[in-house]
Amino acid sequence: MPRAAQRRLHVLRRPKLRQSWSKYNLYNIWRQRDPKIGFTDHETFFQQKWRAKGLLRAYHGEHIKERDWERMFSRRLLSVANMNPRYMAENDGSEMAAGRGSGQDIVQRWKADKVDPKTITPYMNMAFAPMERRLDIAIFRALFASSARQARHFVVHGKVKVNGKVMPYPAYKLNPGDMFQVDPDAVLFATGQPKKKGGSNARQATKAPQDNAEAEPAAAEAEGAEAEAAEASEVPEQDPETTDKPEAPPADMKPTRQAIQKLTKQAKSILARDRDVSTSQKQNLRSFLKKAKPLLSRAGRPAATPTDILSELNSMVKDLNLSDASAEAAATPAAAAAPTESSTAVTRREPPRSIDDLNADELKALHRLINEEEENPADPAKPYHTPWKPRDYMSAFAFIPRYLEVNQNVCSAVYLRHPVARVGSAEVPTPFGYQVNQLAFNWYLRRR
Amino acid sequence: MPPRIPTKSSASSASALVRSSFVSPCTSQCLPSCRAGFSTTPSLERSTNLRRAFMQWQKTIGANFKQPKPEGGHNYLSNSNQPFPLNPQFRSDRVLDEQARELIWEKVMRQGETLKAVSAELGVDVTRVAAVVRLKEVEKDWVSKGKKLATPYSKAVLGMLPTKSFRPGVQNQPLEPINELHIHTATQKQLFWPTAESRQFTREDAAKAFHAKMLSADKRVPHPELIQMEKNLLHGMSPDEARAHFISAAEQSERMAAEKQVKKAMAEEQATKRINTQRFEFRFKEVDSELVGKDGRAPNVVGWKYGMPHYDRKKGMVKIPTSVP
Repeated sequence: MPRAAQRRLHVLRRPKLRQSWSKYNLYNIWRQRDPKIGFTDHETFFQQKWRAKGLLRAYHGEHIKERDWERMFSRRLLSVANMNPRYMAENDGSEMAAGRGSGQDIVQRWKADKVDPKTITPYMNMAFAPMERRLDIAIFRALFASSARQARHFVVHGKVKVNGKVMPYPAYKLNPGDMFQVDPDAVLFATGQPKKKGGSNARQATKAPQDNAEAEPAAAEAEGAEAEAAEASEVPEQDPETTDKPEAPPADMKPTRQAIQKLTKQAKSILARDRDVSTSQKQNLRSFLKKAKPLLSRAGRPAATPTDILSELNSMVKDLNLSDASAEAAATPAAAAAPTESSTAVTRREPPRSIDDLNADELKALHRLINEEEENPADPAKPYHTPWKPRDYMSAFAFIPRYLEVNQNVCSAVYLRHPVARVGSAEVPTPFGYQVNQLAFNWYLRRR
Repeated sequence: MPPRIPTKSSASSASALVRSSFVSPCTSQCLPSCRAGFSTTPSLERSTNLRRAFMQWQKTIGANFKQPKPEGGHNYLSNSNQPFPLNPQFRSDRVLDEQARELIWEKVMRQGETLKAVSAELGVDVTRVAAVVRLKEVEKDWVSKGKKLATPYSKAVLGMLPTKSFRPGVQNQPLEPINELHIHTATQKQLFWPTAESRQFTREDAAKAFHAKMLSADKRVPHPELIQMEKNLLHGMSPDEARAHFISAAEQSERMAAEKQVKKAMAEEQATKRINTQRFEFRFKEVDSELVGKDGRAPNVVGWKYGMPHYDRKKGMVKIPTSVP
């Protein structure tokens, strides 16, 4: 039997459900059908319990030794009852002793077509409640780590504080009222998109473009199952202003170069139509052409970024100061930035020359953009993809159980109380239903 | 065990694959490990049915779960607020959004309302109200110190969860039941308790029947003041007056709890003698070594006891703290 650390966490063959946000795990949860333990009589009770406990233990703290869990297990299942203050004010409890000592008889509707079953309190779903007290699992439940194992790693590496003190033990059992804080950088790393492959070190990022073009498809194909086609094609659409410069793979300068060439061509054609243009405008155009040439050659160099070149181009176009309608089309930097749109962009309104020209809506949008950039900057030093975005498939796993109160801004949470069962629901997040949990609970009662 | 010095076939599997990929495309047929040049794992020859089914799922159904819903809210495998399709008894509950947390902090810290009053007004559990305020204080502290908040993370997570917000100054729908009674183990047994038929057997009597020291449910609930308020209303008190009574009762109970805590701390402080040296602070307490319990083996007494083994020096005993003050 391989040690827990060596076992593979996610498999497609004979799958086990795990405390993890992996897409394989999501797929396994999706295709998991009711195991139907105990529905037929071809299994002994022992076998039923064995199978049920196996299914659940794979999810609940598979990184915890069975011995440790057995010591943690408690047969005391916590629950609460909702007490309506109005009812308690109206009655002093003696109504429950009425009749033959257990309250007035409820009139049974024997002739009703259908009688709804009573809602039960799913006590058995609380079988793994003591696990939820563990620090590492609480961190996973608070959505600070993408798996219980990762949460454990954070604790061991001193990234977690309990009540303001570093707590290096993942097995620490939280007490009601304990506050735990996780290093925000670790949380952003755990829950954010990973860095794009090959972009992590600067050496690769500054490689010659033709070299990279060769490596890219090869890498994409070698990635195989891990980074499938969907992930490879999923290059996030980003504002060029917020693009992570050194981290991003060498930018595709072709559109930028094309834009410069197009502008140059347009300027030349305007110059050729001698009559429509005034002398000063002609001078402007000529100086523009003069400046455009070195810009074009610079755009061809490997270290060039479209942002730099475009900003320079924008300032040049601004200097051009043409009031002519045809020249205006050439001067639209937006058209230059996106070559596909360039033909349609002719009808656009003149770009604002300075901040004062913006109207209220545009100013608001600008402020919002600046704020967004400020709170979610592109930072190549970070070990995750910047600007930060939630990792894939996170939303399907995102829930916070009621026994935790989380403040995501400071990556801290308070363990309010132990999980409890109520009428109709249990607070322990467990992937299987009542019957499976009941069998597992019975296994750990050790009366087998 | 794989060979320490990689054989030609295993070492070159990755690089060979990279080269051969142009000749014969093997998309999605190789293991992820073959990306690493140092891997000694041989690449998988063929794709399995299982893997193909997974890929298919990923392109069709799985694609819905890759990104959070653009309009916000939960995005679970089942369409409802049930993250695990096989467990209808676990549901994802709403969490307080930023505005609601700010409102709670404002009420408690700025307007000086009691935790119980805020809890009863907004329908948020008392412990949660206290936790929200505590966490919000940490957040404000970070802001004042110029420490960066994890705002993008917060926005993303709250966008994925069902959230609850409150409108100030109006009656709001409660977030959760606030007056929940813990089911005490002593009350879980079935009891045969003969009483006179004529007797008014109340909750008070029931508690005494279960255990001599047990309090009645009216006293054990988190909001006994609410029951009193409802009683006042039933006796014809005006709602405003009943509310005022409730608020003063809540203040009173909170004050009493605070006084009790202070008293306890004072008693602790008085019983401790502190001697501060340059390096350590020694704290001495009077301990009666005769207080050892009925059989002389009470678990929490000081000193070595006959027949009680001390495991704390034994090899392999991990001493994980049980609480962090």
